[in-house]
Amino acid sequence: MHNKPMDKSKLLAIGDRFRIYILFLVIFIFMSLFAPRFFNSYNLTTILRTVSMNATLALGFSVVMICGHLDLSIGRTATFAAVIALLLQKSVGYGLSVPIAIAAGVLVGLVNGLLVVKVKINSFIVTIGTMTILQGATYTMTGGNSVSLSGSNVFAISDFLSRPLLPMLPPRVILTILFVLLFHFFVTHTQWGRNFYLLGGNKMTAWLAGIHTDAVTVSAFILSSTMAAVGGILFAMESSAATLNMGENSLMYVVSATIIGGTAMSGGKGGVLKSVIAILSLEMLYTGTILFGLGNEVKIFISGLILAFVVLYEAYASYKHERTLGQRSELLKEVAMLKARVPK
Amino acid sequence: MNRTIDTDTRALRTNRFSAIMNSVGVYAIALLFLLLGMLLQGVGVINNFMTTQNLMNIVDAVALLGIVAAGMAFITYSGHYADMSVPTTIALTGIVSVELLRFGFFFAMAGAILCGILIGLINGIVVGKFKANPIIWTLAMNYVSLGIIRFVWVNKQIYPDVITDNVRAVMLFDNIYRFRLFNVLSLPLILMLILVAAGQFILKRTPYGAQLKLTGSARRTARFTGINVEMIVASAYVISAFTTTVAGLAITSLSRVGAWYNGAGYDFRAVTAIVIGGMTLAGGRGSIVGVLGGTLVIGLMNNIMTLLGIGTFSQDIIRGAIFILVVGINAKTLRSQGRDDA
Amino acid sequence: MKRQVRMLFLVMVLLVSTAVLFAQGGKATGPSAADAAANLEASLKVDTSVLKAADGQPLLKLSADVPKIPTRPANPEALPDTNPLRWFDMEYAGWDAQKTNIPASPKSGAIGKRITFIVHGDHPWTTACSLGAQKVADAYGIQLKVLSPNWDLAVQNQMIDQAINERPDMLLLIPLDATTAVQQARRVNQAGIPLILFNTLPTAEAMNYAITWTGPDDFGQMRKLARVFADELRARNPGAKELGIAYVQHAPGGSPYFARSYGPVSELAGYAPEVVTLDMQAPGFEADRTMQLVSDWLTRFGPRLKGIFAADDSAQALGIAEALKKAGRADVVVVAAGNSKIGMDMVTDGSLFAITYQTAEGDGALAVQTAADWFNGKELPNRRNLPQHIITKKDVADFYPPQW
Repeated sequence: MHNKPMDKSKLLAIGDRFRIYILFLVIFIFMSLFAPRFFNSYNLTTILRTVSMNATLALGFSVVMICGHLDLSIGRTATFAAVIALLLQKSVGYGLSVPIAIAAGVLVGLVNGLLVVKVKINSFIVTIGTMTILQGATYTMTGGNSVSLSGSNVFAISDFLSRPLLPMLPPRVILTILFVLLFHFFVTHTQWGRNFYLLGGNKMTAWLAGIHTDAVTVSAFILSSTMAAVGGILFAMESSAATLNMGENSLMYVVSATIIGGTAMSGGKGGVLKSVIAILSLEMLYTGTILFGLGNEVKIFISGLILAFVVLYEAYASYKHERTLGQRSELLKEVAMLKARVPK
Repeated sequence: MNRTIDTDTRALRTNRFSAIMNSVGVYAIALLFLLLGMLLQGVGVINNFMTTQNLMNIVDAVALLGIVAAGMAFITYSGHYADMSVPTTIALTGIVSVELLRFGFFFAMAGAILCGILIGLINGIVVGKFKANPIIWTLAMNYVSLGIIRFVWVNKQIYPDVITDNVRAVMLFDNIYRFRLFNVLSLPLILMLILVAAGQFILKRTPYGAQLKLTGSARRTARFTGINVEMIVASAYVISAFTTTVAGLAITSLSRVGAWYNGAGYDFRAVTAIVIGGMTLAGGRGSIVGVLGGTLVIGLMNNIMTLLGIGTFSQDIIRGAIFILVVGINAKTLRSQGRDDA
Repeated sequence: MKRQVRMLFLVMVLLVSTAVLFAQGGKATGPSAADAAANLEASLKVDTSVLKAADGQPLLKLSADVPKIPTRPANPEALPDTNPLRWFDMEYAGWDAQKTNIPASPKSGAIGKRITFIVHGDHPWTTACSLGAQKVADAYGIQLKVLSPNWDLAVQNQMIDQAINERPDMLLLIPLDATTAVQQARRVNQAGIPLILFNTLPTAEAMNYAITWTGPDDFGQMRKLARVFADELRARNPGAKELGIAYVQHAPGGSPYFARSYGPVSELAGYAPEVVTLDMQAPGFEADRTMQLVSDWLTRFGPRLKGIFAADDSAQALGIAEALKKAGRADVVVVAAGNSKIGMDMVTDGSLFAITYQTAEGDGALAVQTAADWFNGKELPNRRNLPQHIITKKDVADFYPPQW
């Protein structure tokens, strides 16, 4: 009997830790039960296909955020790489153009990272700058037109990417799932991956612990823009076309999802899997609003409220934590328990 | 013991020096651009650069940006990076003012300003009191206000002259942007100069400014000296929201329509102006006059590029590169002075 | 033990219901073949020509000008920008489409059909467009389902997939982008759902997979506007050897970016060779940035600048007007593409010389009408263009109240 209050707080803590999974389940069950034509394999495949690009982008972005930085250039990097991949396909084929495009993504990340750690400019500022440059570069390369490919071999690739290979899973989705698992393993089970958390939690401690903080930060930026590039390229390959603003909507989407997933900008918290689950949850919510026949205004309104609520909740939690800092609640509880045990 | 005192005085000296550098530094860049323009004119590549008309055009063009930046600089100064809710604050206050125009011009103005200040207050409380991450929270707020506009007005955009038959109100509203004092000084320009002067005065000459500086550079210390940091931060957000509202009214007046897409891009552009103007994101450094300088540099840069006939696409690349370059140099100078930049 | 049994039972129930629900998706709903003939007869009697748009103009009007289609040059992209044939692939896309796997008309009439109508994003224009579509749909008793992806390509793809899942009788689509339309159209085509594209002109390849395309002929319209523009330039500057103009362009990435600058460029090269392009810039749809751009142009070119061709008749046009007013340059001729309230107000007060008639309601209405025509078994051309008209001060009053 006496340990009941502890159970409750434990339950709350667990709930908080797994809140994104709970949110996911709640939305999934609600939509399955009430949204017309939501719960069938075709629709679920569609949802998985739709999130593929943003989920890929969110992987790298989450790593940067775990390190306590921001990468606002992901959307533009995705477009930039996609345009390179398709423009070069015409002369050298995907076999060579895709690696070049990914290399371009790596380069963007390298530049971002070096500007952050060596020139010591805030990542927020750096990536605003690279975002502008990438936009100009993309427009210059294409002359202001979207890039498209046609021909049976190109269509064969895009059809292969989009048609289910296993039940419900087209290759593009399988690839995305592989990336997610790989990243999850990387940040939770390797030393380098755990360094991201250490660095984000406290840079000084990380440095004192012998972590090469600069290298870790740069690698985070490289991961971010590389995944952005990969996401953009796959999306473009699937549609056999790259539009000049295809990555534009991704930034806000990925930022919101990452935060809702529980990765905080104070760094050292969260995880890539949570971000991806958050993206899936948001996408199910959006699909639901479409299936219910509601307009975008409802969707924007709801997702804005969710985002605001999550940020507010986190801030309030840490505010409360800070206020009770130094108070040893468990000692107080023990005292209370001892008091209760003492016979009258 | 002696050594500590020595270090302290040196720090004081560099402080004053870099304070001057911070405001003059950006004007050196502005001067550089002016000289570049004059040089190009001298060589004959561009013409009419050094004319009153052209220089007036440059200031006119950046007046709205200057208004936004002058207010947002308070947030940067308080150590909270930037206000990403600027775009939809512009849109929301604009659409509210048009909607309220049916009750008269001054009612519309008051309503819009109230609405703007409310947004600022919410931002200020959440960031100031609960210490939410400033960028993330204001991004969320941006999304929420967008949601409100879209939800309330669905997909409509509203026109002043359709909303009301009150010709005088519509005329006054139309003239928020278009009014010209002595046919030369446009109202946004006047407003920008007033707001910059007031901002500079508040920041550098009032106890509030000193408190804001301390809050921005060392929040904990500021708290221990008895400053109500929550209030100080909240007020910075209210000031930012107020100037944003002023800009929002002017933009809405210029485009003659209240719509959710008004004001897009002003967040990043204002950040650019502030950072080029020598204000660092670490907080507590820089000045509003410096921000004005940053705004002017952007205007000069755009002007020279268009006069040179550089295409839109290349302009983006150059703009981004110069931005990173200027900020990089600024960060390096601060570091070499022993004042590390975050 | 009891708990485990209960759990097992719950899992079973879940599994069964899952299977049942899964089986429901993606099935086609069969047409009611019995009343097809009656439906067709009633459907053919519906008269939509009496419908009016909000501006008092007839809702449905087809372009009277049948374009003369030149022969395609071997490599259009190698030609200079001033050659009209350089833009052949964009301007004449779809006229010679190689239709593949197009479903045959069921000739079962349009009444009661389910049509999914996917637009590009939320905008007052889109609202008016959907309204026009709804008017025609109501006349036929068509169930119209309007979806808007909010300018997000991934969401539009998703909506198309959902539409495939729901199997409507017809899909009407404004492709978000000319190039990505190919894969979208192929997907719908392979699913066997009749597809009509409208408004945004896709690449020629996409047209192979759609029944037809309806919408404005942006290039043709811009050529027309360019001629009116050149005539006015000549009238205002009689005998001038050089008429300098500049273009405020549309946002890069779509066909309007090309149609609304290179359309007039290539037209004027032949029609009025003395018109010289001084500069082209894309400042976006913001009045203040456009104002700065035009002010800078006035500084750079001075009296050489005689005219401005704008891609947008609201924010861009307002910025241009402000800059010209500030510089006291009432002599500069300004024309703009578009048909917004602001644009019409500016034509009325003289700060714009001409705009294009672009009926938003008619755009949506024509798409639905064309769908109805297909259900009625009518022979359809590869493209159906909206009427072209240039609005000037003379007739601007006929187009009030504005559609949006």
